[in-house]
Amino acid sequence: MKSFEMYHPLVLFYYFMTVIGMAMFFMHPIYLVLTFMEAVLLNFLLLRHGFWKKLMMYIPLFFIMAIINPLISHNGELVILYVNDNAVTMEAICYGMAMALMILAVIIWFNSYNGVMTSDKFLYLFGKLSPVLALTISITMRLVPRFKHQIHIITQAQKTIGMDYTSGSVWERIKCVTRILSILITWALENAIETADSMKARGYGLPERSTFSLFVFEKRDGWLLGVITLLAGISVAGSFLGYTTFYFYPTFSEMEWSLTSVGFYSVYAVLLAIPIVIEIKENIKWRYLRSTI
Amino acid sequence: MQKSDNKRLRLIISTLVIFVIIPIVLYAGVVYLNDRKYYFISVVIVLLACVPLFIKFERRKPQPREILIIAVMAAISVAGRMIFVVVPGFKPVAAITIITGIYLGAEAGFLTGALSAIVSNIFFGQGPWTPFQMFMWGMIGFLAGVLGKTGVMEKKVALILFGVFAGGLFSFGMDVWGVISFSGIFSWEAYVAALGTALPFTIIYAVSNVIFLLLLAKPIGEKLKRIKIKYNILQ
Repeated sequence: MKSFEMYHPLVLFYYFMTVIGMAMFFMHPIYLVLTFMEAVLLNFLLLRHGFWKKLMMYIPLFFIMAIINPLISHNGELVILYVNDNAVTMEAICYGMAMALMILAVIIWFNSYNGVMTSDKFLYLFGKLSPVLALTISITMRLVPRFKHQIHIITQAQKTIGMDYTSGSVWERIKCVTRILSILITWALENAIETADSMKARGYGLPERSTFSLFVFEKRDGWLLGVITLLAGISVAGSFLGYTTFYFYPTFSEMEWSLTSVGFYSVYAVLLAIPIVIEIKENIKWRYLRSTI
Repeated sequence: MQKSDNKRLRLIISTLVIFVIIPIVLYAGVVYLNDRKYYFISVVIVLLACVPLFIKFERRKPQPREILIIAVMAAISVAGRMIFVVVPGFKPVAAITIITGIYLGAEAGFLTGALSAIVSNIFFGQGPWTPFQMFMWGMIGFLAGVLGKTGVMEKKVALILFGVFAGGLFSFGMDVWGVISFSGIFSWEAYVAALGTALPFTIIYAVSNVIFLLLLAKPIGEKLKRIKIKYNILQ
C-alpha cells in the first residue's frame, strides 16, 4: 500500500521541491536533524526491504564527507589538535558533519522522489509547461529499450556472418562493435524519419490537440497543496526572521529554545511529516478494512 | 541572405547568453547571496542556465523530424551509458553529444547532451547532480556545434583535442559541484584537492571520449550529414 503517491503529480512535485529546497537551505542543526530523520522514515516506509541495503551505502559516505571538511578548513576557536601546523577544530568537524547530514538528507529525499514521481507523472507535469521538450523526452525514453532490443538482434545477425564481438583480438572486437553501432544508427535514423512522417500525417502540430492523462485534481489535492503552502510559508518566514540561521564559524552560535523558535521547529517537523502521516494512516485503514472482511 | 543573417544573429545571442549572462548571474548569486547557500544557489543557477536554449527550442515549434532526430541521438547515448555501466567513467555520452553538435549544430548538440542527462537519470535516479550533468553535457555539445560550423572538426587532430578538452571540462565542472556539496563553500584549495583525486576519472573521460570519437565520428557523421541534406532538417 502506497498512498502518498496517489495524490496529484502537481502536489507531489511541489512537495518534494519545497522540502528538498528547504533541506539545502536551512543549515540549523535542529532543522538538519529533522529533515534527515523524516527523510529516512519516509524512505523506509516507501522502500521497506530495499532501504537497509541503501543505508549501508550511505554510512561510509557520511564519514568521508565529515572527514574532508576539518582537513581543508582550519577556522574555528575550539582547537583539538594540530596537524602540520594546521588546526583541526571542533567547529570544522561539526560543520563537516552538518554538511554531510544535509547532503545525505537531500539524497534520501531524492530517493523517495524517484520512487513516488514516476516518469509518467513527471512528463505529465512537464508537458503542460513545455510540450515539445516533454514529447522529446518521452520519445527518447521509449527509444532506449527499443535500441537495446535492436542491438541484440543486430548482434545475432552479425554473428552468423562471422562478425562476433565476443571473440578475436581486441581490434577485431572493436571493429565489430563499431559496425553494430553503425548499423543501429542507420536503422534508427531511417525509423525516426518514418515515425516523424507518420506523426505529421496524424496531425502533429495542429491546434486543438488533446492529451490523455489519468490524473484528476481532486479536492484532497487542493487541501494538501494549501497545507503545504501554509507550512512552507511559515518556515520561510521563520528563515527571514533568522530562526534557521546557525553559525559554525568563528564559533557556534547559541541554540535557541524560546517559544517562537520551538514553534518554528515544530511547523517544519509537521511539514516534513505530511507524507509519513498519510502513509501510516492509510496503512492502518487498510489493515482495519482487511480485518473486518 | 536575410535568413542567414537571422541565423547568425541567433547564434550570437545564444553565445552571449551562455558566455556572458550566465557568468554574471553566477557572480551576482555569489556576491549578493553571500550566506553560504552555495549548494542551493548552484543547483538553481545551473538549472536556469539551461532554460534559454530550451525556450528557444520550444518557441521554434520544431518539426517532428527534428524532434525525432534529437531523440534518437539522445537515446543512443543513454543506451550507450547503460551498456557501459560496469566501467566507471567510460561512457559514450559526451562523444555522441559532440558528434551531434558537429554535424547538426550547436542547438541540437546542447539538446542531445541535456536530454541524455535527464533521461539517463530517469533510469539511474535523479538527484541534485542532474542539473550539473545537463549543463556540462549540454555545454560540450554546444561548443562542438560552434566549432563544427567552422569546419575545423573534420580533422582528426581537432577531434582528439576536443575529446580531451571535453573530458577535462566535464570533470572540472562536476568537481565544482563536488566541492560545493562537500564543503558548502567554494574554495580553491578544496577544488585543487578534488581535481587531484578525480584525476583518474578525468583521464578515463578524456580517453573514452577520444576512443569513441575516433571510432564513431565518421560513420555517424556521414549518416547525419546525409539525412540532413536529404530531408532538409536542422539546417
